[in-house]
Amino acid sequence: MKEFILDTEVTPEFLDFIKHYGSLEMLPGLGEGFYKFEKSDCFSIKGFLNESSFEVRFKKEVMDFTSDFLYSMLYCYQDGKPDFNTLNRRNEALMKRVRTRLHGNKS
Amino acid sequence: MLKKENPLIYLNNAATSWPKPPGVIQAVQESLELPFGGGRGTGKAQRDYLTEGRETVAHFFGEESPDTIVFSSNATDALNTLIHGFTASSPEKFHVITTTLEHNSVLRPLHHLEKKGRIELDHISFSNAKVNPEAIIEAVTDKTRLVVMNHGSNVLGSVQNIRAVGEYLHDKDIFFIVDGSQTAGHIPLDLSAIEFDAFVFTGHKALFGMPGIGGFCIRNPDPVLPVRMGGTGTDSGSLDQPGGLPERYEIGTHNYPGIASLIAGITFLQSIGMDALQRRADRQTELFIKELSSEPGITIYNPDPELPIIAFNIPGLDNDDVGYILARKDNIVVRTGLHCAPLLHKEIDDGAGCVRISPSWFTTDEECRIAADAIKEIAHHAYSQI
Repeated sequence: MKEFILDTEVTPEFLDFIKHYGSLEMLPGLGEGFYKFEKSDCFSIKGFLNESSFEVRFKKEVMDFTSDFLYSMLYCYQDGKPDFNTLNRRNEALMKRVRTRLHGNKS
Repeated sequence: MLKKENPLIYLNNAATSWPKPPGVIQAVQESLELPFGGGRGTGKAQRDYLTEGRETVAHFFGEESPDTIVFSSNATDALNTLIHGFTASSPEKFHVITTTLEHNSVLRPLHHLEKKGRIELDHISFSNAKVNPEAIIEAVTDKTRLVVMNHGSNVLGSVQNIRAVGEYLHDKDIFFIVDGSQTAGHIPLDLSAIEFDAFVFTGHKALFGMPGIGGFCIRNPDPVLPVRMGGTGTDSGSLDQPGGLPERYEIGTHNYPGIASLIAGITFLQSIGMDALQRRADRQTELFIKELSSEPGITIYNPDPELPIIAFNIPGLDNDDVGYILARKDNIVVRTGLHCAPLLHKEIDDGAGCVRISPSWFTTDEECRIAADAIKEIAHHAYSQI
């Protein structure tokens, strides 16, 4: 488990962006809004909207390369202009490596 | 959204009690300010923490002889000493009975011995948070040599009828180990009225000592061989481990600050009185049960705990998420997950784990109400999403 400190607050728009790469659950009435994002086989993020930190839990078997993808998610959302093209490409490459690591070469 | 301004509400006392009574911190400091002594040193005016510690523990537990008290690092250390020491004295494979309520401090050593082919193991299940003593008695075979069970469940807060089990085992060649980690300091104990062979305690929970001190009371050490050897400060010319108590099991330099903290913790409990402690614990437990029961989105696993331990889940929410929300939004510390009791959780929540609340003497009623309201708020929002 790692606590990530961000230089800006987590916004609903950022969550709209990352939900393309995993599942997102929200409890909007709790505080500013509790959210949990899960990228299957990779990591999960939980936190509150409008906070500038969140908690990340990595699947340890693939953490050596999924952590890079987490940084990519943040990088590709810089200034609220999501770069889907770059992140889609990295996501595809990441999931191929994750599947190989976790399940061998089976597709 | 993190409300840093909210004062911390600590409800994880079944793991480690916090805060400690002021006298405990002072006692630890004093123990470190003194030069080491306790029988081996040559200094004057030093406190004999070992003798004082054994006498304090024995008196508090109603055990007649302080000589039966052995110090260890914690309950897990004590249980390993007892379980492995007992097995080491038994050349033949034998049958062991334990329960599905147990902590991994019991389950893992026994599982290890089962895998090694040293024991046959039976886990007795529970109903309504209790193990029926009859079920244990019925599981006894002519090969049974050891029974290990807890006195109080660290998840369900139920107290087991060790008296009935002990009475049955008393005249049989079966060693009976009781894990009192959760009851010591919470309920009045009169060990002189209970038949057992070894009773295990830990210092850092309801006895208000510091982490790193625990021990056991053992009445007949003969069947439990020492499994670790070393310096005892006695009979040092011999290369054999001394066979008497406590040298049979206590090796190396003692945890003097830990023993000092344990003495101070127990002294604090005695100054309050066990009746007053239990009344407050019962009141706060009932408060939680009543409040949480009023919210339809909360599952309480034992609505009638005898210890201040309340286990629950909020359907539709991971127990870890509930703990996270409480910590981050309300500054409330609880414990989530399996609580080192995997077999228990298989029976109550399919192994998913739950949220555990455990107040202490230092928890106020107001803090309990704030925590209950915070939990109900989470449940209310989760319930409305379903």
